[in-house]
Amino acid sequence: MTGYRLPTGGRVNRAAPLTFRFDGASFAGFEGDTLASALLASGVQLFGRSFKYHRPRGLVGSGSEEPNALVSVTRGPGRFTPNLRATNIDLYQGMDASSQNRWPSLKFDLGGINDRLGMFFPAGFYNKTFMWPRSFWEKLYEPVIRRMAGLGQPPSEIDPDHYAATYAHCDLLIIGAGPAGIDAALEAASTNQRIILIDEQDEAGGGALSDPSLWPWLERSLKALAASPNVTVLTRTTAFGYFHDNFVGAVERLTDHLADLPEGPREKLWRIRATDVILAQGAIERPLVFDGNDTPGVMLASAAKVFALRYGVAVGESVALMASHDSGWNDAFALAGAGVSIAAIIDVRDAVDDALLAKASALGIAVRLGHSVIGVRGRLGVKAITVARNDGSAASDITCDAVLMAGGWTPTVHLWSHSKGSLAWRDDLGAFVPDVPNENVRCVGACAGTWNFGAGVVVDVLPTPKDPARLKAFVDFQNDVTAKDIKLAVREGFRSIEHIKRYTTNGMATDQGKTSNLNGLQIASTALNKPVTDIGLTTFRPPYTPQTFGALAGHAKDALFQPTRKTNIDSWAEEHGAVFELVAQWRRARYFPKAGEDMHAAVNRECRMVRSSVGIFDASTLGKIEVVGPDAAEFLNRMYTNPWKALEPGRCRYGLLLKEDGFITDDGVSARLAPDRFHLTTTTGGAARVLNMMEDYLQTEWPDLNVWLTSTSEHYAVIALQGPNARKVLEPLVEGIDLSAEAFPHMAIREGTICGIPTRLFRVSFTGELGYEINVPSAYGRSLWERIMAEGARYDITPYGTEAMHVLRAEKGFIIVGQDTDGTVTPFDAGLDWAVGKKKPDFVGKRSLARPDIVAPGRKQLVGLLTDDPNVVLEEGAQIVADPNQPVPMKMIGHVTSSYWSEALGRSIAMALVDGGHSKMGQNIFIPMPGKTHVAKISSMMFYDAEGARLNV
Amino acid sequence: MSEVLTRIDPMPAEPFAGRGVSVRQAPPMARFSLRARQAADLEKLLGVSVPQKIGTMQTGVMCLGPDEWLMLAPHGTKIADGAGLSLAVTEVSDRNVAILLEGPRAASVLAAGCALDFDKFDVGRATRTIFETVEIIIVREAAERFHVEVWRSFAPWLWTAFVTVAAE
Repeated sequence: MTGYRLPTGGRVNRAAPLTFRFDGASFAGFEGDTLASALLASGVQLFGRSFKYHRPRGLVGSGSEEPNALVSVTRGPGRFTPNLRATNIDLYQGMDASSQNRWPSLKFDLGGINDRLGMFFPAGFYNKTFMWPRSFWEKLYEPVIRRMAGLGQPPSEIDPDHYAATYAHCDLLIIGAGPAGIDAALEAASTNQRIILIDEQDEAGGGALSDPSLWPWLERSLKALAASPNVTVLTRTTAFGYFHDNFVGAVERLTDHLADLPEGPREKLWRIRATDVILAQGAIERPLVFDGNDTPGVMLASAAKVFALRYGVAVGESVALMASHDSGWNDAFALAGAGVSIAAIIDVRDAVDDALLAKASALGIAVRLGHSVIGVRGRLGVKAITVARNDGSAASDITCDAVLMAGGWTPTVHLWSHSKGSLAWRDDLGAFVPDVPNENVRCVGACAGTWNFGAGVVVDVLPTPKDPARLKAFVDFQNDVTAKDIKLAVREGFRSIEHIKRYTTNGMATDQGKTSNLNGLQIASTALNKPVTDIGLTTFRPPYTPQTFGALAGHAKDALFQPTRKTNIDSWAEEHGAVFELVAQWRRARYFPKAGEDMHAAVNRECRMVRSSVGIFDASTLGKIEVVGPDAAEFLNRMYTNPWKALEPGRCRYGLLLKEDGFITDDGVSARLAPDRFHLTTTTGGAARVLNMMEDYLQTEWPDLNVWLTSTSEHYAVIALQGPNARKVLEPLVEGIDLSAEAFPHMAIREGTICGIPTRLFRVSFTGELGYEINVPSAYGRSLWERIMAEGARYDITPYGTEAMHVLRAEKGFIIVGQDTDGTVTPFDAGLDWAVGKKKPDFVGKRSLARPDIVAPGRKQLVGLLTDDPNVVLEEGAQIVADPNQPVPMKMIGHVTSSYWSEALGRSIAMALVDGGHSKMGQNIFIPMPGKTHVAKISSMMFYDAEGARLNV
Repeated sequence: MSEVLTRIDPMPAEPFAGRGVSVRQAPPMARFSLRARQAADLEKLLGVSVPQKIGTMQTGVMCLGPDEWLMLAPHGTKIADGAGLSLAVTEVSDRNVAILLEGPRAASVLAAGCALDFDKFDVGRATRTIFETVEIIIVREAAERFHVEVWRSFAPWLWTAFVTVAAE
């Protein structure tokens, strides 16, 4: 039993006792405790096992700087959070917490064998040892290492919690509500500025919370701030990252401290844009590096003071102080004042301020100047320490159950560094302090290096007579990095602190070097025999402390993860059993299976019905752009490969769009409605990209053109009616349009009404059948669809999905941009020479089409494939070779881009990109697949109705 | 034959009463995208005054960009299409739908996913922006009332987002 609750003092509510569990055992604490303070009060000193060596570890700090006491808290299914710092967990009634990284138990951990073998685990151990044989890595080394070395377990169930998010704006954001931050807020509160003051702890006050003399001031100040309508105080809120233009990310923890979870979000992400930022993050005390400094019970002096004065908990019954800084003396005096017995004060310095000596003497505390701790006895907790003169002589033991380290202070410059502010070295502090800001930001209080903690010296490793190679003197407790690891890294040739960091892992991961960075730097500085300023400091990275994925995702999960775009007709498809697929963000009906049908049966039926009677298809997702203005035709003539100026109003044309590099990027049928008005269509996935590209050209290349582009994709629902009976279905519904073949030929557009609603009626076909695409205002889409279904019932009208659409278009050799093309296919490669205006002076991509390797022979060209076995449907993506008997690896000459069973032809068909394919018509190529090599003949892509007789009816 | 076709909206007809804010669908309306080099060209065609300052709105016309305006008008309104003139009038009535947010928390619902500063968003301002990843146009009709335009297929997502935040 070491720690205990002091009879009085602290801010805990002794009238509100709480019970909780840690590793299955029951404990008691008070409202206002953290898990750490409550366990300490119950005599628990052992909190976890270290990352690599599985050494027993206790508390080092009292707040977010804590490197050791990482625990897991579970509160029901899906609500398991690993790697929480016990010092940051607000205690609630019934809490269920457990230690990590130990098996079978915290006190007896088999992984502790790593510690005995510590000499075999030097810096860079993993990189050095587990290199060979290479094949062992995946199966053996990695899984074993992951099991042995690691922090908490990842959650395994879906998180049922809800997370909120918001943007916020303020004139002044103050991060850190210690005395400096509160003073800054009070000063600004009288202006009409919007102020946000945030602090990671459960109550504002920072260091003042462990200084009872400041409590009246604190209460007055917080009341004043609460009364200021322009001030928002957010506690339990961590500013985790500082980004460009004073944009700060913070997470507010709303429910983790409550015994009973209320409705509502667990955490809230604050995305704050501030005109000015004040950083008042304070400073973190630095540990001292000596043999055994990681024994449970060895901790920061400032932490011991917090536990005593804020939580009313003594960290030991007899406490020794190891100091290189005055602040530790004052902390020891404060502990003595609170009733904690001080076994001794040891200071590495030969002389200290007389006032400190006088005070120690008055309190009856033994003092040893010019001494250092050279060893710690006790494995699961401190039992005694050995101290010696700095020259190694006069070693003696002091019995104690806790050792306080006072190694000076490190300003918390993490957020300052995120903001790219520069740092300046202060020799007197032995620390980097903020120098030149890069944003509208300044630092106040201890994080600026202005503190009244007294003086001290900086020591990299405490003097010791022991063999430095045998010391277990830890620098980074969380990553298990010792002083000798850093020295080894230097010996092995690492010079840059960034390299030393990665090789040793010092200052990495969730801890971000809060207690270790400066000590690591000092040790490297000594080893390299270079001043610290020549070595530099590693970069601090967000997040300042670990945050939940839930908080960062905010609302963006489940239905709000991303929009699923649905057409007006989608609900009909859903009610009629459609199977859907996602195309970009759109949900599209893939096929409409009837009872007992699989996909192939459904698709075959849908194709059959389109070819024999009439099919109906929801084409609403097609991109649509209205191009309007006197220069509309001129603009399209410059964008598309084919000529547009002579297109008559009322007629449509297939447009092929290239990028500057000459490769196909989109296609679609477009109609001229009037001399100065076109209705363009694009692919579903290309809608936004094509509009952006066209706007780009219009605004940057041809700003003189009087033409404007407007997306009308969502203004229209589009119903494709395809098949020999399409006209008969349409005729009774349409008014004001003569549907006869003579008056309304293929590739024409007419405006009129359908069922009384204005329509733009296209006569176009992506199936090779007589076809129409009916555009009506979106809201009428489903209603019109149902009306057409009723009208078409006598022709057994059949809804078809994207899969049948693909088959029908492939039978006609129509390409799908992005499936049959891959960003390296020119119009010639795709057999679309006819769509390129040879006489046009220019169009986007024209110059590239004359580049030497675009006109060189042997390019991959799009061709049809007919398998020797008509029942074999090739796999899309399958590789093609010219000679199946060549040795492996074979030379691949192309791949299958589209492949289907064609119901109309009673056999399989495919399209493929093949080297020099156009000159290989009729030749056999080979498709090696597991177990079988398929033979196919290169053919035209026009598999069905090549002369187009079915279209022109 | 028009009586057989009905309009179907992508959002619930019933308003949602959240904490300090209501979320409801705006009735159908006519919308026109207006493009021209000068506002005067449009004023001549339409016979209404067209705002010149980006982000402002008058007589149902909001100025969204240097050559771009959006006109909101009662459902069924028809306007001249400007054939032959050096400007562009395009009907987009059904491209957008609108959600109305009203109540003391209306601005904070928008702030949940929109990076604009609503303390500095004057009544009468109209601006195109995004809510998380979705493009919207916000019109502040009154201190506590916003009209939010969104493309039709994104409306269910936006509705769910607003309702989720409104309930928090």
